[in-house]
Amino acid sequence: MTIVYLVILAAVLALVIWNLFTEEKLQNQLTAMMVIIPLVLRLLMIK
Amino acid sequence: MKRHHITAIVLLVVVAAISVYTGGIFLSLREPDVIKPGEGVTEVRKLSDYFAPLKGTRGDTDVYVLKGEQEGGKVLVLGGTHANEPSGYLTAVVLVEQAKVTAGELIVIPRANNSAFTHNDSQEGAPLYVHFTNAAGEERQFRYGSRASNVIDQWPDPDVYEHASSGQQLSGSETRNLNRGYPGRADGNLTEQMCYAITEMIKKEDIGLTFDLHEASPEYPVINATVAHERSMDIAAMGSFDLDMMGIAMSLEPSPVNLRGLTHRELGDFTDTYPLLMETANASQGRLRGATNEKLALDGKDKYYVSAEALGMLYVPYDENGHSIEERVGRHLQGVLSYTTAYNDLYGEVVTIENVPTYDVMLAAKLGDYLN
Ligand SMILES: [Zn+2]
Repeated sequence: MTIVYLVILAAVLALVIWNLFTEEKLQNQLTAMMVIIPLVLRLLMIK
Repeated sequence: MKRHHITAIVLLVVVAAISVYTGGIFLSLREPDVIKPGEGVTEVRKLSDYFAPLKGTRGDTDVYVLKGEQEGGKVLVLGGTHANEPSGYLTAVVLVEQAKVTAGELIVIPRANNSAFTHNDSQEGAPLYVHFTNAAGEERQFRYGSRASNVIDQWPDPDVYEHASSGQQLSGSETRNLNRGYPGRADGNLTEQMCYAITEMIKKEDIGLTFDLHEASPEYPVINATVAHERSMDIAAMGSFDLDMMGIAMSLEPSPVNLRGLTHRELGDFTDTYPLLMETANASQGRLRGATNEKLALDGKDKYYVSAEALGMLYVPYDENGHSIEERVGRHLQGVLSYTTAYNDLYGEVVTIENVPTYDVMLAAKLGDYLN
């Protein structure tokens, strides 16, 4: 179960990082940045 | 390279820096506090000694044994069932660091739910640590944790938590509450396994009297109270009479028969031990509190609770003096001493605990004076 959860999480994380690079407005890039942090911490099972 | 690609790379570097910094803090919370056993401790075991699958998990925890030279009965003290209730945890630490047992055996588990100490409840703004200065002038630091096991260790929560042996239904997050999982299940989730290990230990060690030390918010009805299983009621009545004589108001609550999963119910039903659960008043976990910080956790002074008291909304007296950690730990320590004496007198199972500050002594002192 946890593996499935982490795979979904990794996919969302990859999409947000992709969005960070395709997005041209700085404001939207900053939003993507904030979303990435908790995803990274959960993917590494830190928080 | 386009301009927005450069900003994306810069922002990724910022993400990495923030993740390393915050991740380091979160990981550091997993380091167990330093507990310095006093000369009364004769052996340190692990909870996994009683249930091997806990070994290597964050559900495993230290079990301190203080064995007297004379034969006698056995008393168990559980601190840290809820890691956001510092007086229960710190009472157990004071026992490990100070107590000397001359007859019988005292077993202490300061961090009963070790996993709950590795994180904090979200959106509560609780302090990460509480600090004390010991007699040698050194700083001692202890975690202020969460009510429940860490989701990193046990996931996911069900929508509804069904207590295994009774079918009682509670909200899903209670599946990580150690005091809703007894008697526990060997093949259950991590919290149920911790419960199972503690129940196994009580059976294997044939523990006569078990204390589970808690705190609750001042607006919670069961406070400055001892909750007793019906089999423990004689001990509770006799001990609370003793506490009353010392000016410690202690209300006596019978363990509800249909509230399942709690120590004072299940340990009494499923083992031969006499379970007692004690509560003190902790403003830092209350819903009416103001700023939540280490100071509030330690001195319990909160003007909103003083106002609530004036409105008659509380179950403990509350004035501008608050309820200090010394008062709360003093109540628990005196409770352990008085109920143990009652157990000795009623059942002839002698456990003699010495070198522990009584309520009056604790009230006039600083908690750090009783830390090594
Ligand atoms: Zn509690």
